[in-house]
Amino acid sequence: MSLRILRQTLYWQRTRMLVVGLVALGWGALVPTFYTTFQDLFAGLVEGGFPENLLNFGSGSLFTLGGAMTIGVQHPIGIGLLAVFAVGAAAGAVAGEREAGTLEVLLARPLSRRRLYVSVGVAILVATGVTLALLLAGQVLSINLLGVADEIDQWQVPMVWVNGMLLWGAFAAFSLAASVSFDRRGPAIGLSLAYLGVNYFFEILGTFLPDLAWTQEYSLFHHWNPGEIVTGKLDPFDLALLGLAIVLPVLWALIVFPRRDLAAPG
Amino acid sequence: MVAVDTPHPGASTEPVIRTDRLTKHYGGGLHRPGHGTGTIRALNAVSLEVEPGEIFGFLGPNGAGKTTMIRTLLGYLHATSGSATVLGLDVVNDSVALRRRIGYLPGGIATYGSLTGSASLDYYADLQQREPVRRAELAERLQMPDSDLRRKVRDYSRGMRQKLGVIQALQHDPELAILDEPTEGLDPLMQLAFYEILEDLRDAGRTIFMSSHYLHEVERICNRVAIIRAGHLMALQHVDELLARRKRRVTLRWRGGTPDLSGVPGIADVIVLRDRTTATLSGDVAPFVRAVASPSLVDLLIEPARLEEVFYEFYAGEDAADGDAR
Repeated sequence: MSLRILRQTLYWQRTRMLVVGLVALGWGALVPTFYTTFQDLFAGLVEGGFPENLLNFGSGSLFTLGGAMTIGVQHPIGIGLLAVFAVGAAAGAVAGEREAGTLEVLLARPLSRRRLYVSVGVAILVATGVTLALLLAGQVLSINLLGVADEIDQWQVPMVWVNGMLLWGAFAAFSLAASVSFDRRGPAIGLSLAYLGVNYFFEILGTFLPDLAWTQEYSLFHHWNPGEIVTGKLDPFDLALLGLAIVLPVLWALIVFPRRDLAAPG
Repeated sequence: MVAVDTPHPGASTEPVIRTDRLTKHYGGGLHRPGHGTGTIRALNAVSLEVEPGEIFGFLGPNGAGKTTMIRTLLGYLHATSGSATVLGLDVVNDSVALRRRIGYLPGGIATYGSLTGSASLDYYADLQQREPVRRAELAERLQMPDSDLRRKVRDYSRGMRQKLGVIQALQHDPELAILDEPTEGLDPLMQLAFYEILEDLRDAGRTIFMSSHYLHEVERICNRVAIIRAGHLMALQHVDELLARRKRRVTLRWRGGTPDLSGVPGIADVIVLRDRTTATLSGDVAPFVRAVASPSLVDLLIEPARLEEVFYEFYAGEDAADGDAR
């Protein structure tokens, strides 16, 4: 790995990291507030005959604090915040340099393509990790300020982060694999967003159509459930599956990128 | 192989670049450059050697295969067949090690617009892992003062970007500089400054491999030249030798009638028009000058042989298939 490239990549992302990080902190704090404020209202709605599944979202639920934490990371706002780096920055990392023509000058240095890939990949993971940490920090902060900390095991929050990093690491690995496979940013970002979208669709579909709940098993999102982790129900299978979802695209990138012909930019 | 004009004293006499039937065909891979179907034959069995301490010109029009050759030497492209070594290192297996010792200026260079010129140079120098010992000198000679280097690259003109590209390629004093169309975007004064830089590098024992489609600059600064057409090497010679074999055009103006020049050594294609005689001259100039020297000769113009004519000769009859190469 090249520390110089790692440092430079993070430097270029510094403003985005600051903005996204602050928004993630605020969003994280908002979700438990939403739970404590409206849980009675939601319970009343269900008692009145409102379909409970429509008050759930993905693997989350508005009837428990853990479920609300899950909604916080599965809501489109949470997804969007984490995808800024894990999908957007990752998919554009190499393909963007290729499109701009800057990869030519970079690779004229004594730097193997694998080393470049690893350096950029670590930078993406750092940015994603910081964003996720701030989102979870916002949740924990809010939970303690609202006085509902006894509803969860806060010591499991680091494990939520680890599991979350495996999920978003899988999306980042896929996006980076796309990035090293295309000469243009557009196809790399498009494919990465499609991968994210399909996974999200499978996860959400089961929420609104209980007959199709089986599709959730095929979504990577289904294998990161903070609500279950903070209540002591971490499934090691989730970690293994997400680990596999990281390894496969990484292997693809490490094999394909060095073998690709990098013709002169058009 | 022809000996170089100015080998670096004490330097290795091993070729700096050696290609052996280097071939690159595009097509059938994950991402095929260009449009259209079928195999694109960009390089066809190109064998050449570049000697230490020379400025080697790689000449051809757009699409002839110059950039493909350079990118194959740098490991950006993988040869379909054949082999190449640079500084004695295999371009495939030792690509990273050899890039530590070379400087590369890509054609139409792009650098990070959000960085200042000096931050860009620092970044590249750090990654090169060599001190930028020539940066200050190059910046001065290319008229890139600190005030310019402190500006963001996105605000640079095309010429300034090119100058920055030249500096990044040469700042670490590489043993070999590979320059793809290096004077694109430089004004005539900067071109002259650039030629002097290259000549100084050559005098210091460095080797320059440059592609160009500017015949005058190759003629001016290169020791040897390779002419490539549709991926085929058409010529590989000293520039002087190429030119020496060319006929030069001579124009003579006379007072009081034109003499018969048919017996003058080396003269052919004589055309007489009133007081003026034009002809072509081959061989040495001295016998010709002695033969025509007379009080009735008012003016004599001997146009130098130009690489341009050699080049056009190789490209005469260019057919559609030439469009294959990149």
